[in-house]
Amino acid sequence: MDGGARSPDNSESPAAAPPGPGSVEGGEAETALASAALTLARRFAAGATMWCIAPEWDEHARHVAVEFVHPVIVGTRALPAVSITAPDPVPALRAVVRPGDVILAVSTSGEASVAELWRRAPAWGATTVWVASGPAPADARVDHLVPVDDPDGSAPHDGRLVLRYHLLWELTHVCFEHPGLVRPPEPADDGEVCITCSDEGRLGEVLGATGGPDAQVRTACGVERIDVSLVGPVDRDQLVLVHAGTAISLVDA
Amino acid sequence: MSDFLYPFLEGAEDDSDALLDDLIASARDKALISRDLRLATLERLDAQVRATAAAMASRLRDGGQVFAFGNGGSSTDAAGLVTLFTRPPSGPALPARSLVDDSAVLTALGNDVGFELVFSRQLIAHARPVDVAVGFSTSGNSEDLLVAFSQAKEKGLLTVGLAGYDGGDMGRAGLDHCLVVTSDSVHRIQETQAAVSAALWRAVRAELEGAPPVAATTGDENG
Repeated sequence: MDGGARSPDNSESPAAAPPGPGSVEGGEAETALASAALTLARRFAAGATMWCIAPEWDEHARHVAVEFVHPVIVGTRALPAVSITAPDPVPALRAVVRPGDVILAVSTSGEASVAELWRRAPAWGATTVWVASGPAPADARVDHLVPVDDPDGSAPHDGRLVLRYHLLWELTHVCFEHPGLVRPPEPADDGEVCITCSDEGRLGEVLGATGGPDAQVRTACGVERIDVSLVGPVDRDQLVLVHAGTAISLVDA
Repeated sequence: MSDFLYPFLEGAEDDSDALLDDLIASARDKALISRDLRLATLERLDAQVRATAAAMASRLRDGGQVFAFGNGGSSTDAAGLVTLFTRPPSGPALPARSLVDDSAVLTALGNDVGFELVFSRQLIAHARPVDVAVGFSTSGNSEDLLVAFSQAKEKGLLTVGLAGYDGGDMGRAGLDHCLVVTSDSVHRIQETQAAVSAALWRAVRAELEGAPPVAATTGDENG
């Protein structure tokens, strides 16, 4: 393991040089990148699209997407990644994400729109990857958190944030050299039951308001009609906990 | 589903721990290479970055603005420079515009007059002699950048290139300043070009301290 953030001694600028450009963080980021890369390779092999957002810096969303779609190394497979630079990523992604897709966000760890996305992604059936700069997020509800140490806010601009997703791309392609490890899992014995859906208490997002006892909700397994009489009338986009065809509670921020 | 992978391999491997260990080691090696290249390049280009920043600051002080451009990943580096200038993490904003952000303009020019003119035509429309043209290319050979720089020189703009490898054609194009990241890895070049951009921005800011530019009338980026 490298010994955490270092301060280089090159104060090349008359302005205060940030400690940033030279630091190589400890093993946490590399470990997270490795497992995120293996997940990405597996998701892509199963047909996923990767949706990339960076609400504070659109250019990072575009850069991630172009890496995967048009690789710099000739002969490397093009992978379906798309940048979404809409002002509010939540409705933009709600419209396009399918179960099994990947959402990758590049942002500061305090970005509110990203936190809202992570709250809802389980209902959409999306795998989530977060390249998050700054302090460790208090409650990172993501599948893979790739931290970027950034005490002074310079990492998004000086190459260290870019390094993270460059490495993610490079490692993902290393995984494709091991087909036995990225092959989609065989379907379960009885075929039809989604593994996620056999779990207790799944997240659902209400598709339409209803005054009656039933509502249509979107879950990781698709669209289903559930009984909402326990929780009362629900509005569109309300998150609910679904169990045995019934909304057993509302899920609020 | 496996036909797009490596059909010639058996695919019987099932121990992902060994792979993860390899990935972690690879990530660490590359992160160190990236850091070393960034530090070495910032040190090697120090005087050049200062000279470039002084020239850029002089243009900004006279009411000029920065136009940044590049292709693909480098277009995002150009946009990143504009973000630093217009929405800096600290201090006053400086006028800069990206020539890659408007897909209507890019596709109109690419379709009607040819892709090699997508940036030069925009400079013809927008740039004044007091402005600055900053182009990013890892190879240094992008035709649309070379044409844009030629147009910029003709108009009297300050020309600044960020290139990789040995600088390519941009290194020989007679630019006022060409900052070359000597590496042959596109990714490591881009990471280091970002570090050079940040150093350039800090140095421009230092140059302008106490003598900020007049408020730009056309640099009203709202993003």
